[in-house]
Amino acid sequence: MAAQTLPPAVSLRGVSQLYASAGGELHWALTGVDLDIGAGEFVCAIGPSGCGKTTLLNVIAGFLRPTAGTVEVQGRPVSAPGPDRGVVFQEYALFPWLTARRNVEFGLRQQGLGKAECSARADELLALTGLAHAAERYPFELSGGMRQRVAVARALATQPQVLLMDEPFAAIDALTRASLQRELLRIWRELGLSIFFITHNIEEAVFLAQRIVVMSPHPGRIREIVEVPLAYPRERGDPAFGAVYARIGAAFEQLHGDAPAEVLQ
Amino acid sequence: MSAVHPFETAHAAAPPPADGPRTAIEHAFLQRRERARRGALRRRIALGIAGCLLFLAVWEIAPRVVPGINLKMFPPPSQIAGVFAQMTWGTGEIWPHLGASLLRALWGFLLGSSLGIAAGVLTGHFTALRQLSDPVLHGLRAIPAIAVVPLAIVWFGLGDLSKVMLIAWGAFFPVWVNTFIGVRDIPPVFLRSAATLGAGRMAAIVQVALPAALPFVFAGLRQATSVAFVVLVAAELVGAEKGLGFLISFAHLVFRVDIMFVGLIYLGAIGFAADQLFAWLLHRLFPWYGAEGRR
Repeated sequence: MAAQTLPPAVSLRGVSQLYASAGGELHWALTGVDLDIGAGEFVCAIGPSGCGKTTLLNVIAGFLRPTAGTVEVQGRPVSAPGPDRGVVFQEYALFPWLTARRNVEFGLRQQGLGKAECSARADELLALTGLAHAAERYPFELSGGMRQRVAVARALATQPQVLLMDEPFAAIDALTRASLQRELLRIWRELGLSIFFITHNIEEAVFLAQRIVVMSPHPGRIREIVEVPLAYPRERGDPAFGAVYARIGAAFEQLHGDAPAEVLQ
Repeated sequence: MSAVHPFETAHAAAPPPADGPRTAIEHAFLQRRERARRGALRRRIALGIAGCLLFLAVWEIAPRVVPGINLKMFPPPSQIAGVFAQMTWGTGEIWPHLGASLLRALWGFLLGSSLGIAAGVLTGHFTALRQLSDPVLHGLRAIPAIAVVPLAIVWFGLGDLSKVMLIAWGAFFPVWVNTFIGVRDIPPVFLRSAATLGAGRMAAIVQVALPAALPFVFAGLRQATSVAFVVLVAAELVGAEKGLGFLISFAHLVFRVDIMFVGLIYLGAIGFAADQLFAWLLHRLFPWYGAEGRR
């Protein structure tokens, strides 16, 4: 799998997560997940709802303690959320009471950086995400695509090596999403990040990831891991792109006989 | 940059104004819009004034046309206006009363609401603290603030202190309950974001939980201003040498209904002004508060 000489950025062994519903019914959101994310690797997780992909992200981020198994990030066991793992949420995670700049500065201030340093670093990050012109706007004054750019800049402020993204572009229109995907790939390569990216969109996964983790529900588990042997930048019209797409689609059909909506488009 | 994301401009909420001169169409459009906006504003003000005049007219005429009404008991505005003007500009005797009431309300409000915010944030954030304090706080909240007036006089005397404490008591509960709900129901994604960005417990409370709950805090503060005036008057009616409540009860003793009305008018005016000031401050200080701030 990960044939890097560097130790994996994220390493999960036998991770399982049990939930109890209000009525006391037990439900395995994740069972026996083994996964390594290499340093500088881009991994997408894809699967129908209830397959545990968000649970998996929550476990890596430290929001949840797994019922069983171990989670290590850069060799250290994860016990709580921390600035070594940036997280970009689906939507509405920016602090609405802060401007774009202040949102980006939030993590820097927690580290006790001085005003000038915070400001300079925020400028850098806003430029990196193409938002230098909108620094003083509040989230409510930004479009969905711009908000997610700020969210990426904010998550990168603490200079994490691992970036966790939970369907960050799901609520964004297709044209803007395509440009955000290109931007993300550029930032990923520029900074050498390890990215774990959740999506329910096969095309998005094939466009972005080096490896795609296909998950299935009831109980949540990894179904298979598909390598994407395509060079960047990828072209959606490329036959090889279509082949990987079809391969993931077939994995879904095996899951429960019917394909997710994205395959039917 | 625009070459990289060519579609972004189509989504920008408010593109910066072009540097070049405006075209004639743009100019005319802006003028039209401005005219429409001014027209709407003028109409709103005119209707508001008309409503006031209508109210005064009904009040003026009703006591005279309804049979069996004593004008001393139901003085029309024309009679009150004289007393009002004399007390306001002539003798100026309203000002000490007004000043005393305002100061008491202000201090009581500040004390009660700051304690309410602190209690709300703590009980909203820490489950154990909430469970510890829930029965006591809700039990105390169920007591009408006015029922505590005699006790406050026994404890703190007839002076300003008992009034301030009573108002603080009354203002505390709405602020506490609203802040508590606001902090308890923060979208978890805010606290999770803060945690991944390295915020400690204290920073998460002060920099995230409190601002996230601000819309609720403001709702509580606004409620508290009206409660403050209710408690203020109740306290002043019972024992005071100054204040609008005292003025009204004094007018009752000397049977001057017109003076009572002057006191009521001032109470209405400061209550209204406080609420407007509040809405304005909200809008000024917290632009992100959005549509809610413009109510």
